[in-house]
Amino acid sequence: MTKEVVIKSNKYGMELILSDQLPFQELLQIIGEKFRESGNFFKNAKMAVSFSGRVLSTEEEIKIVDVIMANSDIQIVSIMDQGGLQEERMKNRLEAAADAAGIPRRRTARRAQTTAATEEGEVPQGKGSDAPVKKPESVRSTKVSSEKTHLTHAEKASAVDLQGGFYKGNLRSGQVLECPASVTLIGDVNPGARIESAGNVVVLGALKGNACAGMNGDSSCFIFALDMQPIQLQIGDVIAKSPDKVKDSRHLFKKEKAVQGAYSPQIAVAREGTIYVEPMTKGCLDKL
Amino acid sequence: MSEVIVITSGKGGVGKTTTTANVGMGLAMLNKKVVMIDTDIGLRNLDVVLGLENRIVYNLVDVVEGKCRLKQALIKHKKYPELCLLPSAQTRDKDAVTPEQMIELVNELREEFDYVLLDCPAGIEQGFKNAVAGADRALVVTTPEVSAIRDADRIVGLLEAGEMKRIDLIINRIRMDMVKRGDMLKVEDVCDILSINLIGVVPDDEQIVVATNQGEPLVGGSSLAGQAYYNICNRIVGEEVPFMDLDAKKGLFGKLKDIFKK
Repeated sequence: MTKEVVIKSNKYGMELILSDQLPFQELLQIIGEKFRESGNFFKNAKMAVSFSGRVLSTEEEIKIVDVIMANSDIQIVSIMDQGGLQEERMKNRLEAAADAAGIPRRRTARRAQTTAATEEGEVPQGKGSDAPVKKPESVRSTKVSSEKTHLTHAEKASAVDLQGGFYKGNLRSGQVLECPASVTLIGDVNPGARIESAGNVVVLGALKGNACAGMNGDSSCFIFALDMQPIQLQIGDVIAKSPDKVKDSRHLFKKEKAVQGAYSPQIAVAREGTIYVEPMTKGCLDKL
Repeated sequence: MSEVIVITSGKGGVGKTTTTANVGMGLAMLNKKVVMIDTDIGLRNLDVVLGLENRIVYNLVDVVEGKCRLKQALIKHKKYPELCLLPSAQTRDKDAVTPEQMIELVNELREEFDYVLLDCPAGIEQGFKNAVAGADRALVVTTPEVSAIRDADRIVGLLEAGEMKRIDLIINRIRMDMVKRGDMLKVEDVCDILSINLIGVVPDDEQIVVATNQGEPLVGGSSLAGQAYYNICNRIVGEEVPFMDLDAKKGLFGKLKDIFKK
């Protein structure tokens, strides 16, 4: 049975060599079994995949990707054209795809492992939250099915997405702003609200809620805010909470106001598993 | 034998969350293992009152939906490691959880803790039904105002219809000076209307506001309200504690005056 499906892997992805003798359903089953057995080995790697040995329709390819993802924690970020298995090309695509929106958002084991705050998921959208959550269309339509066309133009797409989005207005408690690329918010993030991005987060206002940059695991992202008083910050897989309130400040609100007058823009970055918040200086800019 | 207690009121703003925080902490002071569950999904604030807001990673809805293990969502209190909080979700609403799921969750917690406190949302809709579902016992909080008492009466009716085993009353924010002037209902009047067992009377106290803003419940402290909450905790665990004299707060001059009056 092993002959029907052969998995070959390289540094950036894998090639599935499929038999063209079997009916497609049977093939799917074998693929499922294979990945169930070896799924642990791959953990939640992000991979590109290519197929050879059999001519597949787009639908069939998508079905195979679904089966792989259902049976393992692998995230397939790209399907390569047949025979196009050159490592260099795969690498480029993979990197572009990781930056862009096209990553299928199956957050199962990966999210749980990173002790990340998970409130968003597929939550808002009409039902439940009263929040008028502004999500870029590209996130909503990101499904495995849209992926192939998307990634064929990976370079172009990433160029567009990486420009990020601008949003104006305040995020109030319970609202979540999710963005597939870097995001700039002109307004405040209030306690209980959350701003998330696969890239960087820039808040031109007060950040008093939760912020998450590089939500797909990229810890080189940063979070910037004019007034940095967050409850929690997350960059990549690193998460940090604010220091506890200082006790016995009897004039709680007065003091806070005094501090507010003196705030300065700050930037948060992750280094070696710790989040550092530092004043925004020219030196910081050079490091980015 | 562990107990599941729901703290409810019907009307909003009478002090359910404050009571939950203080009773939870008071029970922890009595060396009980306590878990507080914030069932007010979408409008959470028990975490803020306890000063644990910044530690929330997972919440009640995540647990119920299986996105994390129960242990991962429990937040230990800073001072009392035996005191835990299960926060609610802010981005969802009450329909995210069903009464059956709550019963299951509560039964899981029951095995590990002496007391499970459920902070109920205001109202009598889904959130109330969720909170009440798993409870053995209820603390009904009310203030000495006709509107709050009207709502408390309705709640008591609903709880009795739902066959709650034990229902106790807490009268919150009473002002003895106003009672004396006849501007506020007396404790006895409230008890007459509601005719359930009174477990505590908590005076109106500025310190409560300060404590809430600082995220440090004042139970066990020197203030009258703190003592009142501590007494309530003692009564919950089954001790006989006499009701405090709420007029005691008079200072030296007042006391002297009393002596001369005699």
